[in-house]
Amino acid sequence: MNKLSHYQSRAWLLGLVWLLTVSQLLGQTTHTVTGQVSDEIGQPLPGVTVLVKNPATADRNNGTTTDAKGAYRLAVPAGSATLVVSYLGYTSQEIAINNRSVIDVQLAPDTKALNEVVVIGYGTQQKKDLTGAVASVTAKDIQRLPVSGLDQALQGQVPGLQISSTSGAPGGNTNILVRGIGSVSGGNEPLFVVDGFPINNSGVGNPLNTINPGDIESIEILKDASATAIYGSRGSNGVVIVSTKRGKSGKAQITVDAYTGVQEPARLLKMMNSRQFAEFVIEGHNNGWLDNGGPTAKITDPNSVRSTSYRIPEEWQNLNNLPAIDTDWQKVIFRTAPIQNYQISAVGGNDKLRYSMSGGYFNQKGILISSGFQRYSARINLDGQLSPRLKVSMNLAPTYTATDNVPSTGHYGDFNVVAEALSMPPLIPVYNPDGTYGNTNALTNVGMGAIPNPVQTGNEYKSANSQFRVLGNLFGEYEIMSGLKLKVSVGTDFNYYTTNTFKPSTLSSSASVSPATASIVNTSDVNWLNENTINYRRTFGAHAIDALAGFTIQKSTTTETTTRATNFADDLLQNINGGQITGGGYSIGQWSLFSYLGRVNYAYNDRYLVTATIRADGSSRFGSANRWGTFPSFSVGWRLSEEPFLKDLKLFDDFKIRAGYGFSGNNAIGNYRYLGLLSATNYVLGNTQVPGLSQNSFTNNNLGWETSKQVDIGLDLAFFNGRLQFTGDYYNRRNTDMLLNKAIPSVTGYTSAWVNIGELENKGVELALSGKPLATRDFQWTSSFNITFNRNKVLRLGTDGEQLFSDGGRGDVSITQVGQPIGSFYGHQVEGIFMTQEQLSSHAKQTGAKLGDFMYKDIDGNGVISDADRTILGNPQARAFYGFNNTFTYKNWSLNILMNGVQGKDVFWAGAVFVRGYHGVQNNLAEVIDNYYKSPDQPGDGNSPRIIRGALNNNLRYSSFFNFDGSYLRIRNVTLNYNLPSNLAKRIGMQGGRIYLTSNNLYTFTKYPGYDPEISNSGDNMLASGIDYLGYPPARSYTLGLSLTF
Amino acid sequence: MKAKHIFLVLFGAGILTSCNDNFLALTPQTDRNTVNFYQTAADFNNAVVGSYAALKLSGVYGTSLYWMGEVSTDNADYGVTTRQAVNVDNFQFVDRTYTSLNDIIYAAWRDHYIGISRTNAILTRIEGANIAANLKTQYKGEAQFIRALLYFDLVRLFGDVPLVTTEITSPDGASSLNRMSAEDIYKLIISDLQSAEQALPVSYGTADVGRVPQGAAKALLGKVYLTRKDWAAAAGKLKEVISSAKYQLLPKYADVFSFATPTNAEILFNVQYKSGNTGQGSNFGPVQASEGSRITGGSMRYPTADMDAAYETGDLRKSFSMRSSYIDATGQTINQRYVSKYVQFGSLAGDSDIDFPVLRYADVLLMYAEALNEVGFNPEAVMYLNQVRKRAGLADTKATDQASFRLAIEQERRVEFAFENQRWFDLVRTGRYVAVMAAKKLPVKDFNMLYLIPQREIDLNKNLKQNPGY
Repeated sequence: MNKLSHYQSRAWLLGLVWLLTVSQLLGQTTHTVTGQVSDEIGQPLPGVTVLVKNPATADRNNGTTTDAKGAYRLAVPAGSATLVVSYLGYTSQEIAINNRSVIDVQLAPDTKALNEVVVIGYGTQQKKDLTGAVASVTAKDIQRLPVSGLDQALQGQVPGLQISSTSGAPGGNTNILVRGIGSVSGGNEPLFVVDGFPINNSGVGNPLNTINPGDIESIEILKDASATAIYGSRGSNGVVIVSTKRGKSGKAQITVDAYTGVQEPARLLKMMNSRQFAEFVIEGHNNGWLDNGGPTAKITDPNSVRSTSYRIPEEWQNLNNLPAIDTDWQKVIFRTAPIQNYQISAVGGNDKLRYSMSGGYFNQKGILISSGFQRYSARINLDGQLSPRLKVSMNLAPTYTATDNVPSTGHYGDFNVVAEALSMPPLIPVYNPDGTYGNTNALTNVGMGAIPNPVQTGNEYKSANSQFRVLGNLFGEYEIMSGLKLKVSVGTDFNYYTTNTFKPSTLSSSASVSPATASIVNTSDVNWLNENTINYRRTFGAHAIDALAGFTIQKSTTTETTTRATNFADDLLQNINGGQITGGGYSIGQWSLFSYLGRVNYAYNDRYLVTATIRADGSSRFGSANRWGTFPSFSVGWRLSEEPFLKDLKLFDDFKIRAGYGFSGNNAIGNYRYLGLLSATNYVLGNTQVPGLSQNSFTNNNLGWETSKQVDIGLDLAFFNGRLQFTGDYYNRRNTDMLLNKAIPSVTGYTSAWVNIGELENKGVELALSGKPLATRDFQWTSSFNITFNRNKVLRLGTDGEQLFSDGGRGDVSITQVGQPIGSFYGHQVEGIFMTQEQLSSHAKQTGAKLGDFMYKDIDGNGVISDADRTILGNPQARAFYGFNNTFTYKNWSLNILMNGVQGKDVFWAGAVFVRGYHGVQNNLAEVIDNYYKSPDQPGDGNSPRIIRGALNNNLRYSSFFNFDGSYLRIRNVTLNYNLPSNLAKRIGMQGGRIYLTSNNLYTFTKYPGYDPEISNSGDNMLASGIDYLGYPPARSYTLGLSLTF
Repeated sequence: MKAKHIFLVLFGAGILTSCNDNFLALTPQTDRNTVNFYQTAADFNNAVVGSYAALKLSGVYGTSLYWMGEVSTDNADYGVTTRQAVNVDNFQFVDRTYTSLNDIIYAAWRDHYIGISRTNAILTRIEGANIAANLKTQYKGEAQFIRALLYFDLVRLFGDVPLVTTEITSPDGASSLNRMSAEDIYKLIISDLQSAEQALPVSYGTADVGRVPQGAAKALLGKVYLTRKDWAAAAGKLKEVISSAKYQLLPKYADVFSFATPTNAEILFNVQYKSGNTGQGSNFGPVQASEGSRITGGSMRYPTADMDAAYETGDLRKSFSMRSSYIDATGQTINQRYVSKYVQFGSLAGDSDIDFPVLRYADVLLMYAEALNEVGFNPEAVMYLNQVRKRAGLADTKATDQASFRLAIEQERRVEFAFENQRWFDLVRTGRYVAVMAAKKLPVKDFNMLYLIPQREIDLNKNLKQNPGY
């Protein structure tokens, strides 16, 4: 429970005492009703309000609250017909008494309840009073998923929040975007605030993995400027507020959670077998020789005549007498991998001191050999009421994570085991008869590439990360007078991480041996924060006011040391100590932030709502002439449902219109960027190298934050006692002053300078609908659906017509230019395959093209195909993304199905250049051998080119042939849950328990032919997103879990 | 209440912190920045060294001047025959059909201005700096010489160019600069060199060998006057150098390019290189272990057949400057001429010690002879030309009048300064570039006497207009 609800429950209690006293004074005749209130999984619910609804004296209800065991005892006046059982976060129930004396009640959660309290920046607010776009996700929605981090759990659950798992590796990276891409050169990730502490989202792998999802109570996503302006220069990409579980008064509740299961690749590609591959090689090398071997080249030329690239290994030339080897390389690098999670937590306390603590262990092996992730986590949250006016709280959460990486993106020359496995000829054995690894060395003399053995790479390439993080903060809250509270907090986020890599001499991406190399990178990141706020909350008649003012100080220091070594004597000592240190570096990056903030929430008659927010940030990252940025926002809400004309209709539980406008900033522009830097420009004097220094960048004292101006108009509706709820938002997010490295005349002495100049727009609509279509005593169906449409457009860059190219690993195929979405795909449009000589002669001149080659579109119409004929081929950003969540509950059983999807997103499958490249070199998809153009008589499927190595037409150039629709619908999670009946649980000494079976990533509906359309090579680089370069594919998992509460 | 007091103290402490501006004024601890630079003599010395280093950029002596000064003439070929997308820029020098997207020409524009900006920063800031007067004078003189040298290249390569003489401190500082007339550029060059001549020492101590001495400023000024056809002034300045007796022709031509010493009596100013794999080595020659052994890498440059034929029989310089064949890495003999002038036996690729000559005494003598001859055929001029020829093992010149002497100078400069980036500048100075190329049936156009302004610069500054013809 959070602080506010604690405050509220105290008020409740006082009120109830008063009510009880009054009812007793009235001295009516009564009979006693007892019973127990439990939650949806049969656990007792303490603190539940049980009221008697008395039709005769409607305003004089009496009631009680349940004790620590969920039990209540209540005197019911004669003539009372109904009990009202209510609890924050649960759907209230009205139960006819019918003269019963024992009434047990099971409450179902109602996460969308209107009186739900949501955490906003520097405070809390009731959901009904919100005027900004804020979405909440509760613990249950997060912890249901067996994943390593909260980001993966949030996927599909919040409109406007787009999360893409760009790597399927355990603990792998995700892209997190709130309302689209907001920056070209700066950061795009939202600000993460954990228990009030805005953390540096830094670390190795995915830093969010350092937060145990099991400790989370709720997550709020602040989306529009009116909600994020309170975070000033860090708010423009949205804010994700994570609140962890806090103690509750009552007897200790100890919960043990455990799940264990297995994972397997969600999808494998159908590659060629040995015979198909040999045919593929022969076809590709023959065609290549004919095209490149000069006028006398013939198919019948033996290897001795051919140049190396076009030779065919002798033992593969006779398809009917191939070596008896047919290796399925995917089978040997993928595995069924275990996943397990254990957590023990205890919650309890009394009026003076409440605690919540937990210890957790998570271990996920990867479906690729040698990969895995482990987390050890602990947390203690304490809340103490030192005096009636003074409250202190403490959170301390140390976490240790360890990741074993296996290279899994990019070219096989970079040891990507996925690329190695997909490229390896099936005619190569995993192991030779003598036990050594099968290799391609001999094949390099006959025109085949040297591909490292993926099993050897997996076994011998070492890359390990570890991260140790302690997140701790201390709060003191002093109530100066009623409603006026002073709060001081001090916190620190200490983050230490290290990456150790070792490549032994036995691994080589060519046929020759390359020496062993090793490196180690140590980083420490110390971030401290002091926040001081004063809050006044009071209601005067119809006026309710909640005002906040304060200042905060934060500083972060990141220190990184890198050391590299080579010249290893042997491969036995697998770290830098085994070799000679050959290089390294040291860097310190610091930033500091001083801020003033203020907010006023005002409500009149519970109907007219106004919020005004302002924050002024002074940041070390901004130039000295522009050090302070001010970010105001203003929003209003009108709860029409409280207006008499609508209230009387009794149709709406809630009908609210919201509108807001405000400014927020993006300070993720790098440290010290405004400063001119000097670089070493040494020279030789006196026959000796002497140091020289020259300025290599301008000092720009005006350099500052990127500004986001956002309009949000929203509508909240709730009908039928909250059984149907709708939230819709329209937003227009305009980012100006975008940081760009603008090209400038070199007469200045520099070719570019960092300036705030660009503009970008994201506009869209978010819709969320949730409801309970069916609700009977035994059977309930709850359902929620959300969808977001977003359009991203670049409005201004450094100069007109500028084309910013980005290389996501396969050349400059991503372009950012005015009028288009960021990072659009840019290349040649394939019009078809040259099928006839007439086509060849009538089409625009395409050097080297022959029958069976790609026909590219002559975009500029000059009759010649060149680089100038490249055009926009697609947009890697989704036009829409959605989530659909359904829960069916029957008595103690419940079934939950979570689906999510993306529509209208293009993917450049860079891996297709290899596995669908029709080149006759590395292995290809089996479909290639069925579809290829062989001759005018055997033209294949009409869309596929001929197989040729070294096509003069350059069929492998980036074209629409390698682009695919990345839309998908995923059954993300299916959970079947059984709650132990509470009487059974009690009999075996427990308060409650449940057992559940989960499948994550059960099935994906997509036309995308690669492993998965979400996988992207470019990580967080949004300028080159949507490029699948044979990355780590996602797993499907099946887990069995148990949760017991004592 | 005690707790209240604690809170007030904490609040107060926070407010006090806020008063401290240093909290937000963070400077990098692991990167050098400009905040405290340009203060001490050491800072200015570092900046001056950085200005010399600009001469090694790819757009200056690194790469561009060779293409613009040699490959664009009858001296050198590209050496590659297959035309590909990647070598479009290189073939433009062979064809003399330049486009404004040529990166070699862009690099020249860019890197000359980068060097100029380094010197401008020094000259803008040194006046107010509190450093010893003698050092201030010397640093100013060095910066002025380097600036003049770079502008002299720019004005000859591009004609009218933007004139920047102070440090530009804003990204927009050059976005609307006009091209200034060559006359204005020369005014700056002459005044810089006149100041430098006064400021620079006659020579330096061992540790500072490589810095520009007074004689180089005089010689460059002489070259500027010569280019401007101010024959008397040119002859006067060059005569000062000769009379100073600080410099002489080395007995052996090859010794001028010896890597054993950083400089020698013939060198007035050169670009200094040093092996050691620290990025200070030169990349002008191929990798060869010893005389006659295989060439295994490095930078190959290719003389034309016409160049091969240009040497008179018995010219000792030829066998040093170029060879007609070599043995490649696999042991095959390749019958292709290559430039051997910059080979340092045993050096690694791109890491030789051979300095690149900018101004040497032979140049002073031949310029002086040229200046005298332009006034009238002159026995003193003949004498200086014959000094240079004598060292090359050649007989005295047969020139007997002003016209034939002009051609004799042209020929002598071609072989004496072969592959030293002089040919294009010499022919353009004498106005003979188009005629000489055309006579040899090499493609050329009248407007090739200037290069074109890079498109990027025109796009970024609408006031820059392209040179005529392009």
